Amino acid sequence: MQTKKFNIKNILSNYALYFIMILMVIVIGSMSPKFFSWRVLRDILMQSSTRIIVALGCLFILISGSADLSGGRTVGLTAVIAGSLAQKADYYIKFWNLPELPPIVPIFAAVLVGLIVGLLNGFTVSKLKVPAFLATLGWMMVVYGTNLLLCNKPPNNSQPLGGFLKNFTNLGSGNIAGIPIIVFFALGMCIIVHVLLTKTTLGREIFSVGSNAEAARVSGINVFKIQMITFGLAGACYGLAGALEAARTGSANSSYGNGYEMDAIASCIVGGCSMTGGVGSVIGVFLGVIIFNVINYGLTFIGLSSYWQWVVKGLIIIIAVSIDMRKYSSNK
Amino acid sequence: MKKALLFLLVVSMLALVPAVFADDAPVAGVIWYNFADTFIQNARQTLLNTAAADGTIEIIDADSMNDAATQTNNLNNMYTNGVKYLVLNNINTAGISEICEQGKEEGVTMIFANTDSPSDEDFENYENLYLVTSRAEMSGTMMGKAVVDYWTSHPEADRNGNGKLDYIMLLGFTWHYDTQVRAEYSVAACEEAGIETNRIGGEVIAEYNRGKAQEMVAALLANYGDDIDVVFACNDDMALGAIEALKAGGFFQDEASFIPVCGVDATVVGCEAVEEGTMLVTALNNPVKLGKAIYKVMWLLENGQEVNTETLDMEGVEVEGHRVWINYVGITKDNLEEAAYDITDPTF
Repeated sequence: MQTKKFNIKNILSNYALYFIMILMVIVIGSMSPKFFSWRVLRDILMQSSTRIIVALGCLFILISGSADLSGGRTVGLTAVIAGSLAQKADYYIKFWNLPELPPIVPIFAAVLVGLIVGLLNGFTVSKLKVPAFLATLGWMMVVYGTNLLLCNKPPNNSQPLGGFLKNFTNLGSGNIAGIPIIVFFALGMCIIVHVLLTKTTLGREIFSVGSNAEAARVSGINVFKIQMITFGLAGACYGLAGALEAARTGSANSSYGNGYEMDAIASCIVGGCSMTGGVGSVIGVFLGVIIFNVINYGLTFIGLSSYWQWVVKGLIIIIAVSIDMRKYSSNK
Repeated sequence: MKKALLFLLVVSMLALVPAVFADDAPVAGVIWYNFADTFIQNARQTLLNTAAADGTIEIIDADSMNDAATQTNNLNNMYTNGVKYLVLNNINTAGISEICEQGKEEGVTMIFANTDSPSDEDFENYENLYLVTSRAEMSGTMMGKAVVDYWTSHPEADRNGNGKLDYIMLLGFTWHYDTQVRAEYSVAACEEAGIETNRIGGEVIAEYNRGKAQEMVAALLANYGDDIDVVFACNDDMALGAIEALKAGGFFQDEASFIPVCGVDATVVGCEAVEEGTMLVTALNNPVKLGKAIYKVMWLLENGQEVNTETLDMEGVEVEGHRVWINYVGITKDNLEEAAYDITDPTF
């Protein structure tokens, strides 16, 4: 009897957030039954897609025991880069004097720029020994400033970028068999990152660097290399997310991605990542992002002011982390 | 080595200071609320270009980065620099009187730009106080009037047939003056025309953000899709986000699935949507007019002339006392050419 009770308590505390989410869905659904529809599920998945990809980037960083504040602004910069390379030939304020390019070019360029930002972060953290919080804060500012300068380049003059090719915007707003293409991107990335983290030597090394960098070093792992790779991969994820964000909204400007890094960190934490490194999973991150987007979508859906979203999101983070802390203290 | 680098950095920064004040032209310190804002950037470039070409007044400018505390620092820096004119794109709306007071003490000519007006008392208090701004409420009225025209000429616009204009209002920030007047005056214009209105979805705060507006309108469509008659947006970016969501929800496929969406700003992408036929109307607050009107006010004062509608001599700009008002221009398919402006043209 005693053990059974203990188990229920365990289950409750392990899955408390999911219970909260299910409760929220039930409450919203009872206010408007239309909430239980394929369309709503599709919208939520679609709106979560780019955020999932950003959070996956963040996951690498958190597992390796680091922090990254540059994610949101990198999404903004890469959205502008991708958008600027996806414009129609006859668009009248064309960013670059280039012919029409296939959609792979803007995506590749965005990922490349993201990767470069990530490597700069990684180098600053692991070689120059700047604390990750400050290194990525610094690069975040550089990235944002660069984006402002870039957007202000004549003839664009800080106007939002537009006139994207249909085959590019389709990546963000098109469907295959009723499922948004952008969702395939997110799910594909989830599978790739999951395999990379759980089935490869690199994945194991990232976990061991995050659990105990010193022990990892002693056991022969090249910590510098691992940190460069995690920041690089994170940057590449931000780049992909940036390109898809431009495709999804059909535009891009320097304000894109603002605050995404905090959403990503929050989603990872709610999804069970530890701020001290060495713990985290793709499925947790996936659910973490979905929880926040159910809140965003659900509260708008029933016509509640979005200012409430801040309150609810903040409380969810506090609940998540406090449950996490209780788990650790009861283990002691 | 490190010290040498630091030394070089400091020296090069110091070297820049006299360069800024090299000639004897009077200096105007201009403080913009946010360089990242498209409209501000265009007004800023116009002002810089105009001043550079004319040479009567030299401009130095600063970015408040959308933060009232940064604005205060910028103000102090400008006073320390000894500017003759101070142009303030104020975001500290609660502190207007104090700011005017300080300007008076420092003896600078204060020009509030694109912001709330100082009170009559403030103007009485200080003779060298001016305001150059747009009539914010006009942007709301223009959206409302366009919708009234559409509503009265298209009986099918009442999609659920309840006799009311069911609308979504996409707000920037509830505390933001532009949001407040645009939301208020657009609906007021409809009601003045005798149309009963009904807001759907409560306060939809999309923070002037295209992606956010797109997501929120998608959520509202899933719940109230059959009821929505009109979407008002307090800027073009949000209107365009709404249009994306509406397209995904089956609207704008043909003439029958048209739904009026209104924006403000007349950005390049906004005007494109007007041309394409997805956006019903957008209102232009011309940044070139703002930049040039600011410069011309200083130029007139510098040449000892009075500032009035005749001396200012700009189309769509009216002077009342020390207040300079710039009219919005409503942009529809019929007058798209009026949305064009050239920030590189330095004539004034």
